[in-house]
Amino acid sequence: MALLNSEFSITATPDLQDDRSDIHFVPAPCQVACPVGTDAPSYIGYIWEGKNEEALESIMATNPFSAICGRVCDAPCEPACRRADSDGAIAIRNLKRYVLDTLGPGYALPPVAVTQEKTIAIVGAGPAGLTAAHDLAEAGYEVHVHEASNKLGGMMFWGIPRFRLPEGVVQQDIDRITGHCPGIKIHLKSALGEQVTLAELKQKHDAVLLSIGAFVGKKMEVPGEADPYVQDGVGFLYRINAGERPTLPETVLVIGGGDVSMDACRVAIRMPGVKNVKVIYRRDAEGMPARKEELQGAIDEGIEIVYNTQPVEVIDGKALRCIRTEMGEPGEDGRRRPVNVEGSEHDIECGLVIAAVGQKAECADLDESGLMEWDQVKTSFEGMVTKDPMVFGAGDGAFGGSTIVEAMHHGHRAAYYMKAYLQGNDKPLSYQTPYRTRRVPICNDPDWELNPRVHQQFHGLGQVPVDFPEIESTYNAEEAKSEAARCFRCDAETGSGDYTVGSRESIFAMARLSPFDTDKQVSILDKRLENRDDPFGEDHLPTLDDLVFLPANLSRLVIDPYRESCKTVTNLGAIKSVKMDIPFTVTGLDDAPSEIRESYAKAIAEHGAAYIGQKPIGGSAKWIQIVEGIANTSADGILFKADDAIAAGQVARASDNQPAGLLVNKANLEKAIPFALEQKLDFLLLDSSDGLPGLGGELAGAPDISILSQAVSQLRALNSEEEVDLIYFGGLRTGTDGAKILALGAKAITLGAAAALALGADVSTGEPVYQANLTAQERDQRSSNLLLAFNAESSMMARCTGKTNVQNLEPEDLRAFTLAVSRAARVPMAGSLNQH
Amino acid sequence: MVKIDLSQSNITDANNRIRECGQNGQDVEIINPDARHNIGVGLVDPIKVSIKGSAGYFCGGLSHGAHYEIEHNAGWAVGDNIYSGSVVVGGNAGAIAGVAIRGAEIVVRGNMGSRAGQVMKAGTLCCGGNAAFMAGYMMYGGRIIILGDAAEKLGSDMSAGEIFVGGKIKSLGSDTMVVDMEAGERDDVMEFLDRYKMKFSGEFTKVVNAGKKLRYANAEPRTRPQPFFVSSKSSNYWNPKVQEDIWIKGEVGRYRIRGYGASKPVPHLNDIAFVKDVSKLTTSPDDLKDINLKTTVGGRYGAKPISLSMPVMIAPMSFGALSRKVKIALARASRLSGISENTGEGGMLDEQRAEADQLIFQCLSGRLGWNVKDMQRADAIEIYISQGAKPGLGGQLMAKKVTPELAAIRGIPQGIDLRSPSRHPDVLGADDLVIKVEEFREVTGHKVPLGIKMGAGRVNDDIKIAYKDGFDFVELDGLQGSTGAASTEVLENVGIPTLSAVQEAIDGLKEIDAKDDMDLVMMGGIKDGVDVVKMLALGASCTSVGTSAIIAGGCIACMQCHVGSCPVGIATQDKEHEARYDLDLQAENMHRYFESLRWQIAAITRALGYDDVHKVGRDDLVALTPEAADITGLPYHPEYRSNPQPAIGLEVLSRKAG
Repeated sequence: MALLNSEFSITATPDLQDDRSDIHFVPAPCQVACPVGTDAPSYIGYIWEGKNEEALESIMATNPFSAICGRVCDAPCEPACRRADSDGAIAIRNLKRYVLDTLGPGYALPPVAVTQEKTIAIVGAGPAGLTAAHDLAEAGYEVHVHEASNKLGGMMFWGIPRFRLPEGVVQQDIDRITGHCPGIKIHLKSALGEQVTLAELKQKHDAVLLSIGAFVGKKMEVPGEADPYVQDGVGFLYRINAGERPTLPETVLVIGGGDVSMDACRVAIRMPGVKNVKVIYRRDAEGMPARKEELQGAIDEGIEIVYNTQPVEVIDGKALRCIRTEMGEPGEDGRRRPVNVEGSEHDIECGLVIAAVGQKAECADLDESGLMEWDQVKTSFEGMVTKDPMVFGAGDGAFGGSTIVEAMHHGHRAAYYMKAYLQGNDKPLSYQTPYRTRRVPICNDPDWELNPRVHQQFHGLGQVPVDFPEIESTYNAEEAKSEAARCFRCDAETGSGDYTVGSRESIFAMARLSPFDTDKQVSILDKRLENRDDPFGEDHLPTLDDLVFLPANLSRLVIDPYRESCKTVTNLGAIKSVKMDIPFTVTGLDDAPSEIRESYAKAIAEHGAAYIGQKPIGGSAKWIQIVEGIANTSADGILFKADDAIAAGQVARASDNQPAGLLVNKANLEKAIPFALEQKLDFLLLDSSDGLPGLGGELAGAPDISILSQAVSQLRALNSEEEVDLIYFGGLRTGTDGAKILALGAKAITLGAAAALALGADVSTGEPVYQANLTAQERDQRSSNLLLAFNAESSMMARCTGKTNVQNLEPEDLRAFTLAVSRAARVPMAGSLNQH
Repeated sequence: MVKIDLSQSNITDANNRIRECGQNGQDVEIINPDARHNIGVGLVDPIKVSIKGSAGYFCGGLSHGAHYEIEHNAGWAVGDNIYSGSVVVGGNAGAIAGVAIRGAEIVVRGNMGSRAGQVMKAGTLCCGGNAAFMAGYMMYGGRIIILGDAAEKLGSDMSAGEIFVGGKIKSLGSDTMVVDMEAGERDDVMEFLDRYKMKFSGEFTKVVNAGKKLRYANAEPRTRPQPFFVSSKSSNYWNPKVQEDIWIKGEVGRYRIRGYGASKPVPHLNDIAFVKDVSKLTTSPDDLKDINLKTTVGGRYGAKPISLSMPVMIAPMSFGALSRKVKIALARASRLSGISENTGEGGMLDEQRAEADQLIFQCLSGRLGWNVKDMQRADAIEIYISQGAKPGLGGQLMAKKVTPELAAIRGIPQGIDLRSPSRHPDVLGADDLVIKVEEFREVTGHKVPLGIKMGAGRVNDDIKIAYKDGFDFVELDGLQGSTGAASTEVLENVGIPTLSAVQEAIDGLKEIDAKDDMDLVMMGGIKDGVDVVKMLALGASCTSVGTSAIIAGGCIACMQCHVGSCPVGIATQDKEHEARYDLDLQAENMHRYFESLRWQIAAITRALGYDDVHKVGRDDLVALTPEAADITGLPYHPEYRSNPQPAIGLEVLSRKAG
């Protein structure tokens, strides 16, 4: 198997699953902001649905350190969130924590076997190294991870204090990786240059990844900077995470404005003996790189932040001499540089200074092999390779201080290029963070617009600060759902076929672009020039959706609804007629539960409609009988199945005055019309779904609307349009559909499935199944409302076309916008007025 | 006192003279009025105008502060939309006396015709004789005093205000009721009558709104839209969207409402391609400097046209549907990009006027926010007949958005589900419209272009009428045009696609040999420069973008505009939600969008081989679908869908050259 695999993929670029080819998907800004492309919209959607397991899959798919990230990721997704500018970003990170806290501890992934012959060494077990190890092991490689310390996790273990990230959480992720990837072989206390050398690793393995981290704190480079009055930030955190709880002087200063500084100051305030902690930072608040939430946490815990202040000299155990700064012109990195204010030197009293001003990598062994440049393993970002083609680099050691999720991105990237290298592909396609979607439906929470951001509960220092209790807790299920509801779901297709998610994003892109950025303009234009698929295509089924009404404008007056109500009285029957107040009839309830029948009996009577079926529906509702056997004298009208009646050669009414007609389908229409005219029948019920008296035919799919235009043109050819009325059944979903049918020449419309759906019938099995989830009053209200709404909708259409009577709607009030419907309904095309 | 003899002067000169007198504070006497239309319209100074005889349509209309006395009778719509001042008619008045007044006193000593006081907002309309049917129809405020009898349907669908009737009432209109007069109310009425020397000694019947139709009885459950493809595949006929619709209609007993336009796919500009491959351009900004995009709209009859830096306008959208901040941001972006902004239905904001260089003022049936002062500071006037999203229906603004501020600018009661009438009170047909056009021209001194906004229906006929009625430009809006709130049934099913609309408009104008002088501004689903150039190639003179501009300014296309809780502060009047909208940032974004649009238009024009966007034509286009080919008559070349495009492009080009 192993051979087979490698044979077939010998020069292929490793696959990355990406869903951007789906025209209904555009990666959301949060997903794009995430270095590992976390499918946040999907997991948020799943959380709202209560599908936490699916949410977990979406989270874990690109992130082997999901439990850790749920607590301490710097979450670049949140500032990118489109809701950030409105009433606060979605709490994407805490929602992740909610899922992991709920399901993470018991969640394991099935083990992946080693299937490749080649092996890999990875130096350093931080987020970059372990992510790469994970990806390579998943691809079937045996991976040997050498870690200098006695713990896996790198900075995640040694750099982050336990009150933010408990040890168990780190362990959870690591256990999951090692359980999932038995091909990862761990070598603890195996430091490069001490227990093992690069030369050995190169010799034993087919590729090496250097993810050695940056564990050495940089110096402030000011006079007096020496133990014990000055410690470096990472070193300080390392000792604390190793379990030390030293008693410190009353006042501690922490120098720097990054995340290490934030962690160091918050650790210091928890140490025995400490009363005051101040953070000294040379820029202003705006220029501070620390995550805003961590800064706020520090402030909430009583730490003072001193901005625009720079250390000049450490005065042994007594004070730090500082100078004030002002913000000057932007430097090369675009950030404004601090400029010292002359003569503003002042002393800040303190017993200890913690310098968190950056960290760097150090490795004598790599210095010797010439792979270091200054304090980094010299690595090209494109390719992730050092100058030695079998040695790769990743993480802080290669690219300087980064976040966990950036380091994971390095890990994925390095694994990708290493796989390509091991498969002999020396020109792989450029790595791109894959963007996937689980196509989770958008949540239908009515309060999505209104819910404010739910803040997770903040505990701060806790009862016994030195014990490092967790500073905050995650959501409960209800809070998580409320927060998840807030998501705009920028990834999801819109409800508009015109302003699709793709066109919305093109417009966004145009609105965030300089007109002088020609390259980007060209790429946006090219995307817009991609032609959409034919929205209809050759096998397009014509439905009423492809017909539109022509509104009255200047050539005809529109009708004010307030002024002239639209008449709907319908006398159904050309000679003898069933008198109705509205052009709607209902069918398909012969075998419905009695509760349903009773409700519709009332509604039909109330609105002056009629019921069509084999049995009367009861009450005072008018009934047009579908006759099986003989006509009932109590029926207000009768319908014989066309084939039976034609075979019998006549129609037997129960009384001479009884309006009568035929139930017709496409197959017998041609014969039924002359027969009906000869028999002087009153109406024909055209069954476009070919299913009456049941609803199965109607629910099976789109009706064949052409039966109506055929009937009309056949009658017209016989010059007998006025001599028999047409009733149409099949696929009517709205009052507008009804109005279209009236315009096409029917006198009345028969509702089947729509009537069932209004009472909440489940139609998934092909026949309506009614549920006991409504009260009698609700059923009555709903059945009445359906007829009310549909009748109002058809009246509205008539008014828009300038008619005051729905029976005055004509084919001329309609236009087609597909050729298929133009043919089926014999309606001219809008624009060309061509009739097909 | 200045005497003007209308037998010696045309009405335009007379009105100019009257306004001059107004500025000088001189009263005017009109002799030989001969029931001429539009006497004294657009006067904004507090002088007295005595008309020695009878006046025709719109006498004293669209004025502010002046006092008119008409010796004999007045025609249709006397005192149309007066802000303040008075009109006294010695004899009878025709239909819709005091229509849409916002604070004037109108006294008709004789009888008055039907629909008197329609959509009036404030002030008093008083009739010494009888009032014909539907007096006070859809009034939003103010009072009507009828000393004689009132005919059928008195006060029909009034939403506020009072009607006092001294005689008999034939029948009350819908949603009205009779109530007792409040203390002091009779004294107020009598004081008014005394002032105008009218005698009355009987009892009044007071009629007010009954409050049954001001709000929808039960709210529609809020849902977020399903992806459009769920409901647009005929293979999935009873799809979840259909089921949801029916279920909700069963709950509320009426049609559903939402924002945006038609959601189903319809033939559109995407189904047309350029003959030449305009992709992968290597164009520098300098190359585009010499491509002419300048466009003027509305110069047909010598008014100062709207002058645009490119063939793009901002579509009419109301303050009301949109928040104040968004309207200001749109106005600013229009100025920065050298195009025009349009007020839409809701009246003109001072900040909007200040920000926009060119502002079109729209006049709708409800005359909400409509007034002479804003007319006279507009750069063009547009009469709204209908819009693509909901042709045939009046405007709709849900109660949540009808805040005190909004109610004030529109002159209506706050907190009602505002429904505007479907048609203009004074335009019942093409012939009325001609006179309405004249009134507006008189009020604005023939200085600004006059346009008409229509949703696309029988375009082939309607466009001919618009041409003959004398409009300078038409804004024609297809089925895809959006709105802040409308019935989904109308959104999806009334009107023809934008692509069909432009074709019918061009064909219709050709059929009457119209000169190429009435500008055709096409809208409804225009998203970018590709669409703009295609539209111009099909024959439009300009385009208008609404939804796209809003999206550029931060709209996320959730289509819940009608709810009023827009999460990004666009389609809302809720102060907290509006506060979320960063006006400066979003105005910049919209401006950048327009500049990208400009780049695209210029780059495509150049790639097609022209130095002027107005030179593009039908020969530059092919149809990709049978539908698009049928609708437009363009050659059908489905092979253009592929990329890179086929060699056939060259054949078509050579055919064109030959």
